[in-house]
Amino acid sequence: MSTVQSPLRKRRINWQKIALIVAFAIVPLFLLILFTYVPFLKMIQFSFYNMSYTKNKGFVGLDNYLRVFTKSEYVDAMLLSLYYMAGAVVQLSLALFFASILSLERIRGNGVFKAIMFFPFLVNGIAIGYIFKYFYTRGFVLDSVLQALGFQLESLPYWLRDQSVNNWSLVFTSVWKYCGQNMVLFIGAIASIDPALYEAATIDGANRWQQFKAIILPGIKTVFMLNLILSITGSLSAFEPAYVVGSMGANGTATFFIKIHQMAHVSQKVGQACAMAMVLMALILIFTVLQRLFFRYVMKDSDNTFNAKANKAKTLW
Amino acid sequence: MKKLVALVLALCLALGMASFASADELPTLDQILLGENTDLAAKIHFAYHRTDRKELLEGYVAKFNETYPNIEVEYELITDYAENALLRIGNNDWTIMGIPTVDKDELSKYFVPLGSLEVLDGLYNFMSDKSFDGICYGLPSTGNANGVLYNKAVFAAAGITELPKTPDEFIADLKLIKEKTDAIPLYTNYAAGWTMGAWDAYVGVASNGDPAYMQQVLPHAKDPFAKQADEGTGPYAVYKILYDAAAEKLIEEDYTTTDWEGCKGMMNRGEIGTMVLGSWAYTQMQEAGDKPEDIGYMAFPITVNGKQYAPAGGDYNFGINVQATDDEKLASLYYLKWLTHESGFTFVEGGVPIDKNGEYPELYAAFAGIDMLADEPALEGEATLLNELNSESELNINAGGNTKVQEIVEHGFNGTKDFDEIMADWNEAWSDAQATLKVTVNE
Repeated sequence: MSTVQSPLRKRRINWQKIALIVAFAIVPLFLLILFTYVPFLKMIQFSFYNMSYTKNKGFVGLDNYLRVFTKSEYVDAMLLSLYYMAGAVVQLSLALFFASILSLERIRGNGVFKAIMFFPFLVNGIAIGYIFKYFYTRGFVLDSVLQALGFQLESLPYWLRDQSVNNWSLVFTSVWKYCGQNMVLFIGAIASIDPALYEAATIDGANRWQQFKAIILPGIKTVFMLNLILSITGSLSAFEPAYVVGSMGANGTATFFIKIHQMAHVSQKVGQACAMAMVLMALILIFTVLQRLFFRYVMKDSDNTFNAKANKAKTLW
Repeated sequence: MKKLVALVLALCLALGMASFASADELPTLDQILLGENTDLAAKIHFAYHRTDRKELLEGYVAKFNETYPNIEVEYELITDYAENALLRIGNNDWTIMGIPTVDKDELSKYFVPLGSLEVLDGLYNFMSDKSFDGICYGLPSTGNANGVLYNKAVFAAAGITELPKTPDEFIADLKLIKEKTDAIPLYTNYAAGWTMGAWDAYVGVASNGDPAYMQQVLPHAKDPFAKQADEGTGPYAVYKILYDAAAEKLIEEDYTTTDWEGCKGMMNRGEIGTMVLGSWAYTQMQEAGDKPEDIGYMAFPITVNGKQYAPAGGDYNFGINVQATDDEKLASLYYLKWLTHESGFTFVEGGVPIDKNGEYPELYAAFAGIDMLADEPALEGEATLLNELNSESELNINAGGNTKVQEIVEHGFNGTKDFDEIMADWNEAWSDAQATLKVTVNE
């Protein structure tokens, strides 16, 4: 009898639970579906049509998608993300560097440094854009500082006008903004590592670099992956720097995201813009998966400690 | 319960009938008279883009309320107007708005008919722009004539005594300014974007003297951007001026960091020689400093068969929301009529009057002997063709196609692409769009 009763009782409890869960979840779920999934499904639908905001000019199949890959201007725009990806690598390295220093060494004013580094992340992206617009203007902040350091104005490039440097200028603004945030995340992850490990390592005679390699890096693997994925996907969909500092993507700074914006809002080709957005999403997904695969492979290799080997041996047996 | 249902049904019916009945009764713009119906009570939510004219516009409301005390007008001035208006056009949270880029056959979907084109065209300027099938849906806020802003003091210092009439003369004058003064000969306002798209306004009347060009000829033209037989005319000549000015370094040095608000004061102080913008900018340049008398306005430097032309047209058109209540619609009609006849907005703003009996401001002094022509409407059945070609070709001529004009400056300045190549690309985009939309092309 008891074996029959208990699942029944369980089910009754579950009903109550479900009612409760539904009651609490229905509003956020409704909002999520209404403002995220419905628009998303609509976007997929629109991407197969030739349509403007007010008019649907008919089904065109995959034409919109084909155009994304055949027109050189879109491919060029996608290649611009390479600048931002390079920036992301620099950004993560810097963040990791500062995070390790601030965690490992007892530096006076530790908190002040953290706050200073984190501050740019709190500033609104558009405001940052305007700050850097003046920063890069000929003869303004950057040029004055460099002149004070002994550079001649004539030998300096026009930071936003010269097409050989302007994308780097924009990438720098994004590195400046996100570096502090990455750093804080790293510091958090490093703080969760047991300090006894460092002590033990020091007793074993490990130097700072060895400690970093053997303790910190494996310890923050997850956060590192998260930061990397966020930075790379952020690079693929870079928008703010090019839109605000680069005058709406003028002068060869139009990223793919800006092209989408122009397509939808200037040329009013909503269908085409939706197709481009879908391609961007697919790209981001591909990159995320590739990164995961890559790191699973790399981490497996670097994880050849005695324990790991022993574990492997065990599972093999 | 049954009673309740019946009541609700009856109420719905009554309301429906009421709205039907009065929809027929809504008078047209020419039928209403200012000064009648003064106890009309309604609230008007007015969406508009002139963020810089808040006080002026609210002053108008106060004056309007002297005659119509019960009509409340609330302005919502929007910085990013064109996009915002397009997104909100189907809502009921506005009563009057400046009509954004909408296909003409869709106007009736959003806006109240103001009257027949035949009647209104006799009373007001530039009515055909927002009309479809002989019905007007928009009343222009003010009219613009397009020419070139210049600083008289700079021109005098450079020794220019006669205003340039051809592209060659214009470039020569810019060179003189560079040589003899410290002013920037031609300020492009590259970074603001829309200031570059403003060059498209000269493609029609100004470049070839044909008021039918923009709406009727261009959509069917084969290679419209190619060099024309009559050298120094046509769209080619318009953009060539910009390319040459950039190539000869007659524009601002660091064009990527130009500042629209800042340029007004620079123009006023004589740090800028010329700027290619519509007449609406004239007053703003005058107000930006101590030397309003130095600001001048001239026709675009292209001469067609010995004559210069200035394209003129309505600025944003006001349209009334079809979803508004009847009182709101009627009140909006009175307010729009009052704005056009009584406010003096066009005169203050240096615009071409909308009221045919209105007064021209003195900035058009230099336009004596120059033909001011408005674009003729599109041929029948082609009302939306230009919009569609613009969208399809992504050139967006006169419709926010700023990027393509910015590219002219880049290529000119850096020498990365020949002007003829750029024009060939545009021709290709245009031909492709014509082919896609199956437009007949006139050889």
